[in-house]
Amino acid sequence: MEEAIVRPAAALKTGSERSRRIRRNKWLYLMIAPGLIYFLVFKYIPMYGLIISFQDYKPFRGITGSEWVGLEHFRRLFSEPDFLNILSNTLILFSLNILIYFPIPIILALMLNEVRISFFKRFFQTLIYLPHFMSWVIIVSIGYVMLTMDGGIINELLSWMGFEKINFLLSSAWFRPTYIIQVIWREAGWGTIIYLAAIASVDTQLYEAARMDGAGRLRQIWHITLPAIRSVIIVLLILKIGDVLELGFEHVYLLLNSMNRDVAEIIDTYVYTAGLRQMKFSYSAAIGFFKSLVGLILVVIANRLAKKFGEEGVY
Amino acid sequence: MVEDRSLGGRLFGIVNFALLTIVALVTILPFIHVLAGSFTTSAEMAAKKFVLFPTDWSWDAYRFIFSTNTIFRAMAVSVGVTVCGTLFSMLITSLMAYGLSRKDLDGRRTLMFLVVFTMLFNGGLIPTFLVVSELGLIDTYAALVLPLTINAFNMIILKNFFQNIPEGLEESAKIDGCTDFGILFRIVLPLSMPAVATLSLFYAVTYWNTYLNAIIYLNDSKMWPIQVLLRQIVVLASGFDHSSDLDGVVPPPDQAVKMAVILVATLPILLVYPFLQKHFAKGALLGSIKG
Amino acid sequence: MQRQSKASLLLSVAIVAGLLAGCAGKDEGNGGASPSAGNESPKAGGSPSAEASKPAEEPPKNADPVKITIMLPLNIAETPPDTIKNEVEKLTNTKLTYQFFPADTYEEKLNAALATGALPEVTYLKNQSTFIQMKGAIRDGQFWEIGPYLSEFPNLSKLKPRILDNTKVDGKLYSLYIGRPLARQGLIYRKDWADKLNLKAPETVDDLVAMAKAFTEKDPDGDGKPNTIGLADRNDLVYGAFKTIASWFGTPNNWGEKDGQLQPDFTFPQYVQAMDTMKQIRDAKAMNQDFAATSKTDQVALFTSGKAGLYIGAMSDIDSLNKDLLKNVPTAVVDTQALIKGPDGQLSTWAIPGYNNVVLFPKSAIKDEARLKEILAFFDKMMTPEVANMMFWGIEGTHYTVVDGKAKVSDDKERTEREVKGYKDSVIGESETNGMYEGYYTLEGRIRAEQFALENEKIAIHDPAAALDSPTYTEKGQELQNLITDATYQYIYGKIDKAGFDKAVEQWRSRGGDKIVEELNAAYKK
Repeated sequence: MEEAIVRPAAALKTGSERSRRIRRNKWLYLMIAPGLIYFLVFKYIPMYGLIISFQDYKPFRGITGSEWVGLEHFRRLFSEPDFLNILSNTLILFSLNILIYFPIPIILALMLNEVRISFFKRFFQTLIYLPHFMSWVIIVSIGYVMLTMDGGIINELLSWMGFEKINFLLSSAWFRPTYIIQVIWREAGWGTIIYLAAIASVDTQLYEAARMDGAGRLRQIWHITLPAIRSVIIVLLILKIGDVLELGFEHVYLLLNSMNRDVAEIIDTYVYTAGLRQMKFSYSAAIGFFKSLVGLILVVIANRLAKKFGEEGVY
Repeated sequence: MVEDRSLGGRLFGIVNFALLTIVALVTILPFIHVLAGSFTTSAEMAAKKFVLFPTDWSWDAYRFIFSTNTIFRAMAVSVGVTVCGTLFSMLITSLMAYGLSRKDLDGRRTLMFLVVFTMLFNGGLIPTFLVVSELGLIDTYAALVLPLTINAFNMIILKNFFQNIPEGLEESAKIDGCTDFGILFRIVLPLSMPAVATLSLFYAVTYWNTYLNAIIYLNDSKMWPIQVLLRQIVVLASGFDHSSDLDGVVPPPDQAVKMAVILVATLPILLVYPFLQKHFAKGALLGSIKG
Repeated sequence: MQRQSKASLLLSVAIVAGLLAGCAGKDEGNGGASPSAGNESPKAGGSPSAEASKPAEEPPKNADPVKITIMLPLNIAETPPDTIKNEVEKLTNTKLTYQFFPADTYEEKLNAALATGALPEVTYLKNQSTFIQMKGAIRDGQFWEIGPYLSEFPNLSKLKPRILDNTKVDGKLYSLYIGRPLARQGLIYRKDWADKLNLKAPETVDDLVAMAKAFTEKDPDGDGKPNTIGLADRNDLVYGAFKTIASWFGTPNNWGEKDGQLQPDFTFPQYVQAMDTMKQIRDAKAMNQDFAATSKTDQVALFTSGKAGLYIGAMSDIDSLNKDLLKNVPTAVVDTQALIKGPDGQLSTWAIPGYNNVVLFPKSAIKDEARLKEILAFFDKMMTPEVANMMFWGIEGTHYTVVDGKAKVSDDKERTEREVKGYKDSVIGESETNGMYEGYYTLEGRIRAEQFALENEKIAIHDPAAALDSPTYTEKGQELQNLITDATYQYIYGKIDKAGFDKAVEQWRSRGGDKIVEELNAAYKK
């Protein structure tokens, strides 16, 4: 990194140095080449499809034959009466994801790492990653069975304890808790895997040295394990921030109903429920473009911040 | 490894164990529900709502799904695509990640940005379809693999792991006459086994879950992987899609069949992780080589 | 085909493939290794691209059977085997290639194929709303107009003019329709509970409400516990209970005439009456309290577990409801009821437009008139009793038997489902026009349901706007409809009152509803 900053100043002299370095690294470029070709062919060539956000695209006419409308779709999006509400719903769910969900796999991974008996460690790991393989349809229908007012376990429990039954499924107030609990339920265990891999790479000698110094387990976690996985945490955080407007369409859609729409309608579900998914390609592409742009801006900011704190960042 | 035998250490261990037991119990419930559900009748499912142990045992669902060879064929396709795809992806991803992990590489930041950019912007289904079609991949299994060759997220993570390997190791290997390829395959990858295992799992799950690509790129239903079958049954049986129930001509499939298919289609990929877990201990090697 | 693709693959991603020839090869090999899957069928049947790209290379075999490729949505778990297809080919002298795609993501496939000109010769859509979305492409001339040819085909010309009119685009016919009974909805209820409480089958909406309340309060299952409810409903205002109840009140079907103008159903007082009735039932705790979040599966479970005693929807659901209910409550008796009077004593119920799907003929695949006629001839043959029965009921003696001139489905329901059901939804017309058998039923309630369906047709309220077009509706009709759907639920749940509902209607109007009204009325006058 230092090099990169110094380079412009010494541009003249480094010209030949640079080409020498490039020549020396020719094998590295060769290694990158297949991946690069993949990105070019399957990611960058199709990007011309972004153009349709600025057109009145008709699939049967193709991009070349469709009419240009400029920023019309964006204008429509921003003047949508519910736009602000939908955007803020989306951002709130996103914040819940970052603030509540994101730390949980880290904590779980640290807890798992502290299990000393290797059989149990593996046993727990295997159990908690199972829900990830259940589709949202299953998770949500299990949620329904537990929360319904007509004999749902939780409501039966509440009324047995003498409380009023709560209409979890149809209440605006309960939508967000339900959402985030289900996200945690399904994804937290799966999310630990990557941290466990990072923890596995920690030099065990460090722990022994710390123990010699009389450090307790919490202090070992704080001073050795966490710093060791910090860079992974930061990379994941930045990438997660880039996903700002991708909150799992299917999940939210399944929880969404007429009684909680005021808090549950997010950008993705709006595209679907407003019937934009089919045949209104341009408008939904424009919405997608907007989402990507927001994601890009946030990633650039987050990456910059990370670099400021001496981290590597994602690029 | 020295055990921490202090009172505080032991208490910590017990509390930790208890908490994890609760977490594990809560997360395993849906799975038990699906397992039990696959062995009972839809009538019992309706009556009990949440079945954890069936009283009305029935193998009907399994008899039904195994009575044709569709599920075997789809499973074979999925296994084949998953194994080949994972190997192929890991190879290309490791090569690229290693190249980009080297700090003396010119243009590295630009390349990384280009990769990150693809995570945010994509051209959409139809332009990608045209590329796949121009390459002549329609109706071939390659259409399920090549468009997914590199997952940018996985590549970035792997690169990050590679970067954490002390540069000294690579330098000394280079002095010993290793090429870049040699360093990657003989030193970097073996030292990153936890990461390699993790990302192989990620790729395997992605390939296993291939659904939309199969439908869009393969016209022949005999080539479809297991997820198409799974999703079709789950969606039909869950009754969430109310556009199709105009007049009940097609009653939804049995709930037990749904559960059985979920189980059969998920079990193979579930078994991958315990198998990979042993590699998570291998990171310890790092310490020993360094020492 | 595989070799061809491999070659172009190697060319285009030379380095990737070169470096990894091992795995790329394995990948191809996998295609061959997995139980003869991929390779076999393109050779045998001809995948569309293979056929389209090299028609000249095909050896002129018998020249006899007409080859047709058909794309249609898959409404069952897996693609059906060729049993029925083979028989249909024999009957119609064709060589058919069926391409089934999951209904769930059918639109994606449809759009990708449309954008790349890869639609096969015969393209089924998914439902009425896919048809509405396709109208742009139809107007653009992507599909053959078949109206002028129908008269050349004796069976196709039998198709009901009224329904054909509903499927026209700008007055021109581009599609054949898959017929559906107009009005099958009604009430399914627990007759044993009603008998125990001395209640007659409800004849008015008030009877219905009384029954729902009695089922909730009077312990109809006699276990001494307050564990039953009246109505089981789901998160669907149209195919659930609401629209049917509203139509019993005489609410128009989507659009109704008021002062010579078409107006949306929710501006009529009957709509509000229906909401009040639903509210009354819910407030009395005589239905599942969170029906707005209940899926059909959960709704059905409420009924089949013996918790709920009323179900409003397709009366033909009674067979499957009865089957599972009997396992849980062996003494249960279910029956159907329809022709329920509103407060003014009038009989009415709503009707669907008579079709649930259509089939289109893309110009990109059908090059000339002669070819189109060949294909239409196939559909003409499909509308003969032999072929229609084959596709709808299966092989006589195997999948069904004829009893009293009606088709009785064989006891091996699994086999029938697997082999026949996939084709069932693609049969053009209905039994009156294609001559196929009516269904033979044994369950008392189902027999009555069939009679009720016929009676319903006589009192049916049709949607006067079914064939009308409004650009604004196509643009944001569904989005606007959400406003009304939400307001309807919120009214039933007591979250908003009449004033709140009127406000939602006002919003509907100001955000484009007025324009829809205007456009539809302009089209209506024509």
